[in-house]
Amino acid sequence: MSAPLTRRLPLELIGGWEGGLFAFMVLLYLAGVYINPGFFGTTDAFAAVMRDAARFGVMAVGMTFVIVNKDLDLSVGSTLGLVATVFSIVFAETHIGAGLGAALFFAILAGLMIGLINGVLVTMLQVPSFIATLTMLFIGRGLVLGITGGKTISFAGKARDHEWFFAIGERGALGFNNQILLLIVVALVGMILLGKTRWGYETYATGGNEMAAGYAGISTRRARMRAYLLSAFCATLAGLMMIAQDKGMTSQYGQGNELIVIASVIVGGASILGGRGRVVGSVLGAALVVLIDKVLREGVPTTRIVRIGEVEMQVQAMAQLPPGAVPAFLGMIMLMAVLIEPWVIRRKLLQRAWARLRGRPVPRPVEIGGIAIVGTQTRGTVAADRALKGGLVRRFFARRDAAALILAVVLWLVGLWLRPDFWASIDNTFNLMLAFTEVGLLSIGLTFVIANADIDLSVGAVLAMSGAVAAFMMRNMGVDPWLAVLMALSAGALAGCINALMTVRFGLPAFVATLAMFYMARGIGAWIVAGRQLSGFPEVFNLIGRKLIEALRHFGLTPAPDSLLFTLSAALSVQTLFVACLAVAAGIVLGYTPIGQKVLATGGNRRAADYAGINTARVRFTSLVFSGLCAAMAGVIYIAFFRSFNPAAGQLRELDAIAAVIIGGGSIFGGYGSVLGSLAGAAVIALIRALLSLQIITAEGRSFVMPQHWVNVFVGLILIIAVLSDIWLRQQDLFGRLRRRVRKRLGLARKDAHA
Amino acid sequence: MPEKTPIVEMRGISKSFGPVRALIDVDLKLYPGEILGLVGDNSAGKSTLMKILTGAYQRDAGEVLVEGKPVHFRNPHESRDAGLEMIYQDFALCGNMDVGQNIFLGRWPRRGIFVDRRKMYRQADTVLKRLKVDVNSVYQKVESLSGGRQQSVAIARAISFEPPVVILDEPTANLSVTATERLLETMVELKQQGVAQIIISHRLQDIFAVGDRVMVLKRGENVGDRYVRNTDEHEILRIIVSGTRETALDADEALEAAV
Repeated sequence: MSAPLTRRLPLELIGGWEGGLFAFMVLLYLAGVYINPGFFGTTDAFAAVMRDAARFGVMAVGMTFVIVNKDLDLSVGSTLGLVATVFSIVFAETHIGAGLGAALFFAILAGLMIGLINGVLVTMLQVPSFIATLTMLFIGRGLVLGITGGKTISFAGKARDHEWFFAIGERGALGFNNQILLLIVVALVGMILLGKTRWGYETYATGGNEMAAGYAGISTRRARMRAYLLSAFCATLAGLMMIAQDKGMTSQYGQGNELIVIASVIVGGASILGGRGRVVGSVLGAALVVLIDKVLREGVPTTRIVRIGEVEMQVQAMAQLPPGAVPAFLGMIMLMAVLIEPWVIRRKLLQRAWARLRGRPVPRPVEIGGIAIVGTQTRGTVAADRALKGGLVRRFFARRDAAALILAVVLWLVGLWLRPDFWASIDNTFNLMLAFTEVGLLSIGLTFVIANADIDLSVGAVLAMSGAVAAFMMRNMGVDPWLAVLMALSAGALAGCINALMTVRFGLPAFVATLAMFYMARGIGAWIVAGRQLSGFPEVFNLIGRKLIEALRHFGLTPAPDSLLFTLSAALSVQTLFVACLAVAAGIVLGYTPIGQKVLATGGNRRAADYAGINTARVRFTSLVFSGLCAAMAGVIYIAFFRSFNPAAGQLRELDAIAAVIIGGGSIFGGYGSVLGSLAGAAVIALIRALLSLQIITAEGRSFVMPQHWVNVFVGLILIIAVLSDIWLRQQDLFGRLRRRVRKRLGLARKDAHA
Repeated sequence: MPEKTPIVEMRGISKSFGPVRALIDVDLKLYPGEILGLVGDNSAGKSTLMKILTGAYQRDAGEVLVEGKPVHFRNPHESRDAGLEMIYQDFALCGNMDVGQNIFLGRWPRRGIFVDRRKMYRQADTVLKRLKVDVNSVYQKVESLSGGRQQSVAIARAISFEPPVVILDEPTANLSVTATERLLETMVELKQQGVAQIIISHRLQDIFAVGDRVMVLKRGENVGDRYVRNTDEHEILRIIVSGTRETALDADEALEAAV
């Protein structure tokens, strides 16, 4: 009977992955010591790394549950920020100044609320997890900026009265920071929960095969809800740890943290496809990623020799990676970590290479049948079939883009009603058109991607990167404007290619691949321009963002004043004309050619399209590259219009563009979408932004303008509402069902009356 | 039986998935105008064999001949071009598109660079009429149709280009009794038009209702075939359960043995 015991345990069981992580971490730390002994060599540095890793470790514990469930929580960073904000507002004497108990209560409540909202959206309302939590990320960030007004809050004085709480951030009895002790406690609880209890087993079952788990009587809905609450709770805890340490807060708290946390969990051995992952791994992963982050941010002391006239001078300096490089690298690490599981471990890449080196027979990889990741297929749209009967009006209302078209007109009329003095003026119309072109351009590309049942979260970031490329080329390299534009477009297409390669060739979910690109492209953009604002481009280039009349004038083609052409070219801008042309072309391709049919077929049922001989890989690839290209065009137009590049270009634009496509009749599950609808959706978004930032003059003669942060919160809400109404009104035909039920009941009542 | 060239012939097909040997040296012949039933237990390799025939999977060994010529399909599209149509168990339709678009999925008629909508819907209508299917309109979205009607659309798609061979994978698994009957009628009609058909089914009575020949697979091997008119469900069941490669007889051998 002793035979099973003497068998060597497989490496996985005794923690081969975790052991490897640990070894790698020691090596990395030694590398840090080698680069900068002045910092990494001291025990202080070690303590600092441990202290910062503690917060990310705590968040990673919660995230492990979510990722094992095959979900994703992008809102942890915002949750941390919001918890810190709520605590500070309630606690600080400069604001409300209530007691510690009240502050803790409201902070924890705020954190758990986000978890609850995430959970309800994802489980009960069936919103895809990345879109729900991405929106919460932006809403949370908007709330933090809105509430704090972007300012720093400090309460160091008051903190002295409540030492027991703020001791969390201090060094404890054992010489370690108390946050590390807290991490150990959280990790232990997490390990026991995930590894030993029913909750954990339910989580693994849900992530492994949700349908099977459901059939086995597990409430997968509850398991997923629980994970979101745990994740939010952990983020809350991390927020409180941060507050306790700093005794104050800035509005930057938690920004970009979701990237580090998700990367930690994936590096720690969890699979983005669910069903796999351990708390120990995640915590070690967090330590590793934080260490990488610190090493990347660390400066290397260098000595340069500068000659000034005849004198040679030695200058001590710190060579440091420019801003933006760190998120770019972190995004890359996340991508690589995600790829390791399906492509290195499952394919036995290392074993095969090793066997080949030694000349042994190469073990065969396990064949992964068919498509690795299958998205949700489109569900019933009973509503559309009513279009078959009835007249023109009814047919119009059954169109998927009807709501967007009507909404665009209504919103414009609302604007006219609010500010009749100003809304319809040429100036305002011109500005509206400008805001519209940016979102419109991005949404044209996204229409194809979303119709393919993919997603591109990186459009805003790619916009910034391409803008940076064009700006840098013209300003610093003195490149000809046309060549610079070409290079910017190539950069966008390249980003699209990488997105496509990751999703189509390597089978990653599109939201993971493009999320990594979201961080990488923005990072690279900031890197190229070294975080500065660039301006002073050739005026020929700037014409791209000017009115048509200026462009004509520049080329000496000024039309006669008072002619129709003159008025027209004074009201239109070059970019509007360009976007209109592109939209017509894209609209015809999507709506009337076999290419468009292929896109819709691929999104509707990829397997069926494959069997029908459609090269779905090529279709998806092309769409993602086209989306990158559209984002790049938007980037070029952006810098031409503003005559300068700002690293914050295109921020939050992915939200606008996705919302535009969904409002315009696209489905987040793929298979639907039209360019006309997306443009109407873009108009809706542009109008809402314009309306919300409208200066309202009240009856008392005071004026009021909503700050931009609050506008962003509203746009986030609109995205969620758009997705929800797509799922529940268009796909599930909630109104139709209600109407039928009411009719049935009425019918029954009538029958009863007869009887 | 006069010796004709089989329209489809598979010789010595083998296929492994990792350590699992799904098919071992399997032969198959299909003559023009014939309905061949392919039966066997679960995991006998029926679907794998058909996927190799259509090019969805690549064989490890063996050869495939269509009308006597060796072929090597790399994907289902190539086999479709060669006149082999397959109707999948779940119909493989795009629910978001309408009936007409689905019938011409991947082969939309063109006029210049555009899809020729008028031609597409007119031809779709003709095919549906030929099948005597009561689909209200070719403009209806497929996901709003019932299972039986979706099947009709799948069949319409398969026969719209008048292929010589149609393969049906578990066509009756998701159908009601009346829809099954209508499907069997359709199969007989197709047979009269000279279309050779392979039907994979768990329901022997369907095969006995329309089939000419039954072929049995067991754990990836041939264990015999029989003419439907010379056998009964009992014998086929016996072969499915206890047949072996050694005792396998093909239809003509079985006929001689009986005499």
